[in-house]
Amino acid sequence: MSLQKQQILNKEIDSFDFQSGGEASSDLKNILRKLGVPSKIVRKTAIITYELEMNVVIHSLGGEITALISEDELEIRVDDSGPGIEDLDKAFTAGFSTASDEIREMGFGAGMGLVNVKRYADQIDVKSSKDAGTHVKVIINLAN
Amino acid sequence: MTRKHSVLLKEEKCEGCTNCVKGCPTKAIRVHQGKAWIKEDLCIDCAECIRACEYHAKYTKTDQLEKIVKTSDYPVLLIPPSFYSQFSAEISSQKIKKAIQNLGFRAVFDVAEAAAALSRKTLDFLNNNQGSYISTSCPVIVRLIKLQFPDLIEMLIPLKSPVELIAERIKRKFKEEKNINPDIFFLTPCPAKLTTVNRAIGQKESFLSGAIGVENIYQKIYESLADIELKTEAGRVITLATIWGSEGGEEGILKSWQELNTLSVSGIKEAKKLLNEIERNNIPDAIRYFELTSCTNGCIGGVLNVINPFQAQFNLEERIKKIREITQAHNLDFEKDDDQFYNFALSESITADNVSKLDSDFKKAMQKLEQLQKEIDILPGLDCAACGAPDCKTFAEDVVNGRASRADCIFMLRKQLGKLADDLSILAHELPPVMASQKEESDDS
Repeated sequence: MSLQKQQILNKEIDSFDFQSGGEASSDLKNILRKLGVPSKIVRKTAIITYELEMNVVIHSLGGEITALISEDELEIRVDDSGPGIEDLDKAFTAGFSTASDEIREMGFGAGMGLVNVKRYADQIDVKSSKDAGTHVKVIINLAN
Repeated sequence: MTRKHSVLLKEEKCEGCTNCVKGCPTKAIRVHQGKAWIKEDLCIDCAECIRACEYHAKYTKTDQLEKIVKTSDYPVLLIPPSFYSQFSAEISSQKIKKAIQNLGFRAVFDVAEAAAALSRKTLDFLNNNQGSYISTSCPVIVRLIKLQFPDLIEMLIPLKSPVELIAERIKRKFKEEKNINPDIFFLTPCPAKLTTVNRAIGQKESFLSGAIGVENIYQKIYESLADIELKTEAGRVITLATIWGSEGGEEGILKSWQELNTLSVSGIKEAKKLLNEIERNNIPDAIRYFELTSCTNGCIGGVLNVINPFQAQFNLEERIKKIREITQAHNLDFEKDDDQFYNFALSESITADNVSKLDSDFKKAMQKLEQLQKEIDILPGLDCAACGAPDCKTFAEDVVNGRASRADCIFMLRKQLGKLADDLSILAHELPPVMASQKEESDDS
């Protein structure tokens, strides 16, 4: 049973906007601290959100991030319009990346993005296909 | 009454400007009734407000030499590596130490000795543990982590700072060998170290009795140097670990013994940026050790120092060169039985300072969060600080927490006045029914 969730964050993410990339992650982190969420969970969330946010910045044509919370669950949704992920299994393989050489030179695209998200998330659901954008839903348990 | 912090306000000098409010990295200052007050639970003693204040209203009150010499039976002073940056390298360290001792101390010791030992222990710790660690030596950084990055507390290396290490050792040594209980004081370059005297980090109590700011006794030391004649003896030259006084000193020592991936960052703003990146896993795992100092350029940039940090950096580098010349080599032994002399482990765990939550009840916190968003939405977002808070978001939080009133914002006040004026004018044009009917009657006739 999950209680009614309330939206605590909604932010647009622009494609290739490396300047503001990471802001949603910082904002969410601050909000969770204000709500008294334990620091281990705050850290997990910061890592997950940052990865997903940067995926939108690097791979998509832009999108948005939404966070909803109830007393026992945190839900993070990241939806983008873009090329989508052709092979989801590959995307969850460590080291696999479709990032361009330019992006790799910037230190991104190590192929650990979704792998890390999966590692820290309690549930993850990715819906995507070619040219249909990517829609990620992550659940983080808050109840002990 | 013991003070929680070492940075204080000289009320009569405070103009109520918001320079310090804006510059505070933890948003700990609010101007209230024309004076900039520090919120104790948020202050980390970084001294940025002392740097920001053009009216010198923020200051640190350290222990007074005269009082120490008069009241203590056996005062001992610890000299930090950074102190040597306050003098030209031409003046020998022995001479400087002698001058300090002449002020009335029974003995003086170099903290750098313990710094060298701590470096050996740190390397040993890194070689026997996996993961990345953050230096625990700068108390401001530790407090910043406790306050704003509590999830990184586990990365703090659980070893005492060099000052505490040497203070503990001296206390034990004097007790065992001479049955003396010395009062140990630290010659501090920063207010933060003074704060640790009353609020130790990872220990129940500090081994220090107090701290004297460099600025308090520099002049006296400098003046007495001319009267001291001493020959430099190679065996008594200070350790190369004196380089700890400047940024990158600690990592430099570690790297002189073993190849190691480290990163050093100085300045509170930069340190915050780095911690933020570490928090979201955006720093390579390959970096094993982070040396972070709150003051730009490291401890030589401490606000209680006298010499400007650029000259200080030069002085320290020159002195290091000299040490190498005199000792003909590296006088930093890698192998030493430090555990015999020092008790490295912190006796208590470092805990989080949870002050950012809006309410300890989740539902109430959610309600306040909603209220907070509403407040933020109606505020102008100019971050002008005229309300006394550093920015609109912080002000909104103060309002939600009942620590400020919405009308403290001059734009909100103007809006309210405008509305009041509109209401007044509407009311002024409304005639009482009696008058209105009279008017109608006269129109009819």
